[in-house]
Amino acid sequence: MLPKGLEKQINILDFSLMSLWRRKLKNLGIMFVFALVIFLLGSFQMLTGALTNSAQAVLKNTPDITIQKMSAGRQEAIPLAHAEKLHSIYGIRAIIPRVWGYYFDESKLANYTIMALEHDSMPYGNNLNLTLAYGHFPKKTEIGKAVIGRSVHDILGLDKRRIFSLFRPDLTLKSFEVIGVFSQQTDLLSNDLIIMNLTDARDLFHIPELMATDICVYVTNPTEIETIAKKIAGLLPDTRVLTKSQIQKTYQVVFSWRSGLASICLLTALAAFAILAWDKASGMSPEEKREIGILKILGWETGDILAVRFWESVLVSVLAFLFGCTGAYIHVAFFDASLLKPIMVGWSVIYPSFKLLPSVTLADLLLIFTFSVLPYLGATVIPAWRSATVPPDSAIR
Amino acid sequence: MLIELENTIKIYNQGKPNEVIALKGIDLEIEDNTMICFQGASGSGKSTLLAIIGCVFPPTSGRASIAGKKLSRMPDRFLTIHRREKIGFIFQQFNLLPRLSVLDNITLPLLPLGISPHERKTRARKLMNQLSISHKENFPAAQISGGEMQRVAIARALINNQPIILADEPTAHLDSALSIEFMQIMVDLKESGKTVIIASHDSLVSEHPAIDKIINIKDGRIHVP
Repeated sequence: MLPKGLEKQINILDFSLMSLWRRKLKNLGIMFVFALVIFLLGSFQMLTGALTNSAQAVLKNTPDITIQKMSAGRQEAIPLAHAEKLHSIYGIRAIIPRVWGYYFDESKLANYTIMALEHDSMPYGNNLNLTLAYGHFPKKTEIGKAVIGRSVHDILGLDKRRIFSLFRPDLTLKSFEVIGVFSQQTDLLSNDLIIMNLTDARDLFHIPELMATDICVYVTNPTEIETIAKKIAGLLPDTRVLTKSQIQKTYQVVFSWRSGLASICLLTALAAFAILAWDKASGMSPEEKREIGILKILGWETGDILAVRFWESVLVSVLAFLFGCTGAYIHVAFFDASLLKPIMVGWSVIYPSFKLLPSVTLADLLLIFTFSVLPYLGATVIPAWRSATVPPDSAIR
Repeated sequence: MLIELENTIKIYNQGKPNEVIALKGIDLEIEDNTMICFQGASGSGKSTLLAIIGCVFPPTSGRASIAGKKLSRMPDRFLTIHRREKIGFIFQQFNLLPRLSVLDNITLPLLPLGISPHERKTRARKLMNQLSISHKENFPAAQISGGEMQRVAIARALINNQPIILADEPTAHLDSALSIEFMQIMVDLKESGKTVIIASHDSLVSEHPAIDKIINIKDGRIHVP
């Protein structure tokens, strides 16, 4: 035997379910639209989170200062002799030459990013190995070895093979052995990446031995980055000196612009839904008003009627929330957010594509809940309260 | 006295341009276990009087005491509680929820009382047996005949065993045979100890021998011929 209060709540919940079922077409329609809006909001949040996480992971390994040689406003190879000049600056921890470039694979119509650096000379360079699903970065002495991104691995069709070849500018072939593959978490930037030894990269791109694409500088005290960057710019006037914070700002500007654009689209969808919900709720049908009048005459208190409307709205909105969020997770995790990715990622949608790991935080879910479920509850319960507080006779005459 | 009204006035939309004085000072006493008929033309105020006796709203002024409770300053919540404990309603339009089953319509007043489904069904089935509508238990209310709807409405009015039964134009949508049948059910209710008040201008009701008293209402006042 249940306590009366609990039995009453169960009865009201039971009546709410019956009530939903009686208007199943209308409620299913609302739930569908509601779930769609939450799906879009959720996808956007999860995609944003995934991209932010990936970008942050990448920026963590960005050099404190990057030096590039400029000629006629364009970047060109930088002589390693430039690095020698920097030794006079106090506070520099390491100077590492880097060679990188793009390689277009005509047979696969894919674009790879080739990068070569002496990771064992970098501060915490061995940490880079943590970004790999397996294997290790090629050491100075490991000639003809490479670490590749997951998409490169798939595009080259390596399966169990470990050897692949790339063309030099003179169309002779250079072979590499795969000694490691990046993990999925780093997909955003490592997906199209081939990491190799400096010697191999120079050989592949036909870059002279004492040249590099740019020079990476690591600083002992992060607060001195800007000062050291100014000193470098003074010492090497023909170079562009980029600090980590400048690169971060560039990322943020590009990302915020896209994020803002997507937000506007989603806010429009949310506003459309709010109008629909308000119209549905405030425009209670004569049948619904009459039902409230009948229940009141039969001895239902205003609170009981509000409880029915509340449970109805909770069931519709929470189910829509669950469906929407689950759909969003599936969309981002299994379909690579194909609906939103072109807006948010832009250039990165160029083949090869990459896998996203959706980021779902409690804060994100609460945010979506606050902007969807709560307004809906308000929009449905408040008009019911207005109807339930008037004398019931007017509704049933 | 079960029902006592003294100089009861009801004004709708008081102070507004569309103000209507529906009752203009009603004095009325109704004893327990009687059968009363309110008679009057449409707009005479009989439905308003029925609504005040039914604790739907309090009078604008005057005294109204229903089953031992003074309504005048009773908040809406207590009016509702008093209504569900003391008053059973039968409406002209039956006011059933058309998509709910007959059983669910009858048990509606019991849901907020925290009565278990088993107890609700037991009570409803007993009434359905008495009123010969058991075979329609699971039918949606919209799919039964007018006479059956009337019986469902009666069963709903009786489900909480309230002592006062109010019926507003109950025979307006029934043919003569069904109206006679309805009156017989009301007579049975009176004999079981209930007080039955019927607002009707149907002579079949007002001239029924079981009616103890006819109260004529005209322009918001009790009219003594």
